[in-house]
Amino acid sequence: MDLTLDAVTRKRLEQARELGRQQIRPLGLEADRQGRPTPPEHPFFETLIKLGLGRTRWSASDDARGDATRANDPTRVGTSRTQLCLSEELAYWDRGVAVSFPGPGLGEPTVLQMGSPEQKQRFLARFVEPARPIWGSFAMTEPGAGSDVAGIRTRARRDGDDWILNGDKSFAANASRADWIVVFATVDASLGRDGHRAFVVEKGTPGLANFVIEKKMGLKAYESTSFSLRDCRVPSANLLGGEEHYAKRAGFKGAMRSFNATRPMVAAMAVGIGRAALDEALAFARASGVEREPRVRDRLERIRRRLRAARLLCWKAAWLADHQRPNILEASMAKAVAPTVALEAASLGMELIGEVGGRGDHLIEKLFRDVKAMDIVEGTGQIQRMIMARKLVQLPSER
Amino acid sequence: MIDFALADELRLIQQTAREFADAELRPRDREFERARGVPDDVRRRYDEIGLGRVELPESLGGAGLGALARVLILEELAAADAGAALALDPLGPALYPLREFGGDAALERFAAPLLARPGARAVLFWDARPRIREVDAVATGILPWVPSDRADLLVVLEKERAYAIAEGIRCEPLRGAGLRAAGASELHLERAPIVASWVHTPQAQRALARARLYAAALLVGVMRASADYSRAYAVERQAFGRPIAHHQALAFLITDMAAAVETARLLVLDAAWRLDRGEPAAEACASAFLEASEQSMFVTPNGVQILGGHGFMQDYPVEKYMREARALSLLFGGVDLARDDAGRDLVRSEGPVPLTVEA
Ligand SMILES: Cc1cc2nc3c(=O)[nH]c(=O)nc-3n(C[C@H](O)[C@H](O)[C@H](O)COP(=O)(O)OP(=O)(O)OC[C@H]3O[C@@H](n4cnc5c(N)ncnc54)[C@H](O)[C@@H]3O)c2cc1C
Repeated sequence: MDLTLDAVTRKRLEQARELGRQQIRPLGLEADRQGRPTPPEHPFFETLIKLGLGRTRWSASDDARGDATRANDPTRVGTSRTQLCLSEELAYWDRGVAVSFPGPGLGEPTVLQMGSPEQKQRFLARFVEPARPIWGSFAMTEPGAGSDVAGIRTRARRDGDDWILNGDKSFAANASRADWIVVFATVDASLGRDGHRAFVVEKGTPGLANFVIEKKMGLKAYESTSFSLRDCRVPSANLLGGEEHYAKRAGFKGAMRSFNATRPMVAAMAVGIGRAALDEALAFARASGVEREPRVRDRLERIRRRLRAARLLCWKAAWLADHQRPNILEASMAKAVAPTVALEAASLGMELIGEVGGRGDHLIEKLFRDVKAMDIVEGTGQIQRMIMARKLVQLPSER
Repeated sequence: MIDFALADELRLIQQTAREFADAELRPRDREFERARGVPDDVRRRYDEIGLGRVELPESLGGAGLGALARVLILEELAAADAGAALALDPLGPALYPLREFGGDAALERFAAPLLARPGARAVLFWDARPRIREVDAVATGILPWVPSDRADLLVVLEKERAYAIAEGIRCEPLRGAGLRAAGASELHLERAPIVASWVHTPQAQRALARARLYAAALLVGVMRASADYSRAYAVERQAFGRPIAHHQALAFLITDMAAAVETARLLVLDAAWRLDRGEPAAEACASAFLEASEQSMFVTPNGVQILGGHGFMQDYPVEKYMREARALSLLFGGVDLARDDAGRDLVRSEGPVPLTVEA
């Protein structure tokens, strides 16, 4: 057993902290005050590109070697734990800004997992050494279907060499600024997940329209955008994996991946937000000279302890993923626990600062608004429990 | 780099403890409870495989292993029978003040004779001051409960000192709330001579930290037993046309109980790992104890709830787990004292919260 971090991780954490203090935190506060996402032309994004951030983890040479366990695998061996630590640190400074970072974003895992080598080349190569900030996006959720992914209604209809997409998508991160959006649609809604097809819809495609940047409770620094597809014509070359992929997969119904690296990452971000709330609460308590009051101390203590426990859950899930060992239970556990702990941290922070929290200009108040999303994105707390219950008590799937 | 794999030696120890607990303890838990102790054949088996001595120095026939080995064993034993785990451990956490304050000499003097007498028990009590009058190194008073039917050695630990009493102790048997397999008594000290006494704050802190971790590891075992038992029951038991576990209210309760066990366990492992590296761990041990105490009061009552009326009956073990969890978290100053120590570094007037990713 070892709970230390290697030198690479430490160094990258140090960089993240520097960037966090100087840029990420101030930008997050600014976006929150102004109630709008950081605009794509903001120089901050150029800075990130110069720092070598905002890139894809895909590499053409790994791909050529057919080394699927490395670059092509969204849970590339050996990187989960480092990524996790960085995610926590970035979210500590501002989770909204962290999601606004350029790069292929949430679309990347799908392209890596399902895309053909040519498709990866077409959609990810531009993120290898981007000259300017560019984004990818991922759109699954619809007005009528979120948790119940199988219930999406966006239709995909074959028309010659193209596909025609029709439907509405909700809350997709960075969608209006994205070079492309991974859009999930169905060829036959009655087939549930078997009817799903994933398309890469490129910016400027006619029929891709009505971008609305939603007004959110928090996490304002990045855009959560709804849009529609109206007779949107997409070449079949943009169907991820091609037809064969779906024909093959139909036989593998329920063959879910046995490990997951994204949920622990999102959980770690919740830990980061919670840790920011704890630090602010403690700073406030010290400034008001109440840090020794047992009632204050005990609340801070509980938060610190539960955040540490939540972090250990994340670490364990990521460690398993790094070794390609089944971690579905652990990943969902981390994702179910960390957001509630982080909310408790922010909420107790509000209690401590008292009426100051009512002013609407304190960092803790912002964190309190930011944090709730963590129990909703990447599968709500309830969905995580359903996944866990499938493992623990063989809870039957709803569909 | 972050790695949760146990070294082979530790895995083997864990496996051995689990096999012993499954074979010898769990099937007989109610018998031990009635008998207020474990029979000699079980004790002999336990001594043979040497689990009780992992933490003792080699001079006392021990393996000289650390806290990780200890907590792994304690969890396994307590997952079968926490009372028996205590009954089987003659020194119990009294080992820690003896070792921290008195070193090998104290172990030679106090631990060795105890280990030579089958069935002998040492008892650790936290801060007897309000209850014990000391005059000229002679103690008189009553301690309300210790989980043992005999006390061949009493070690009293306070914030800044520890002392030992070996004679003049009378045990008045009590029914006991939980942990009855370990026994339960009120200790009467009648002009009992204090035969050794040590003063040193850091040592006291370290001893208390280890004692708390000992209790925390037992708590993890108890709540794991409760969560596992009630989960298996919920998959079998039918109501309204399906297994009760497939009603979402119970499915989600069961997932949360599993998460509760895991968070407490990870904090226990974290604290033990720190101790074995020689890092300061008073705060981590207090945190682990608090988490285990709080989570066990979520898990074990719900373990009873999942079995419904049956859970309340002594035909099933879940009511026992609930009593054990409550009793364990009263030991060594309980949760309120643990909060003082777990929060100590937070009440400084400056400095960062030691919760950075690297901390
Ligand atoms: C800030 C933010 C960013 C987002 N970014 C993206 C993005 O980039 N791309 C994207 O595709 N989506 C995104 N989403 C959408 C997100 O994934 C969905 O909101 C989420 O999956 C929940 O779906 P829903 O909103 O439709 O809620 P619903 O599915 O309608 O759920 C409502 C409530 O019912 C509960 N519930 C549902 N089914 C069950 C059940 N079987 N048992 C018990 N309880 C149940 C849920 O847990 C929830 O509490 C984002 C959302 C937010 C808030």
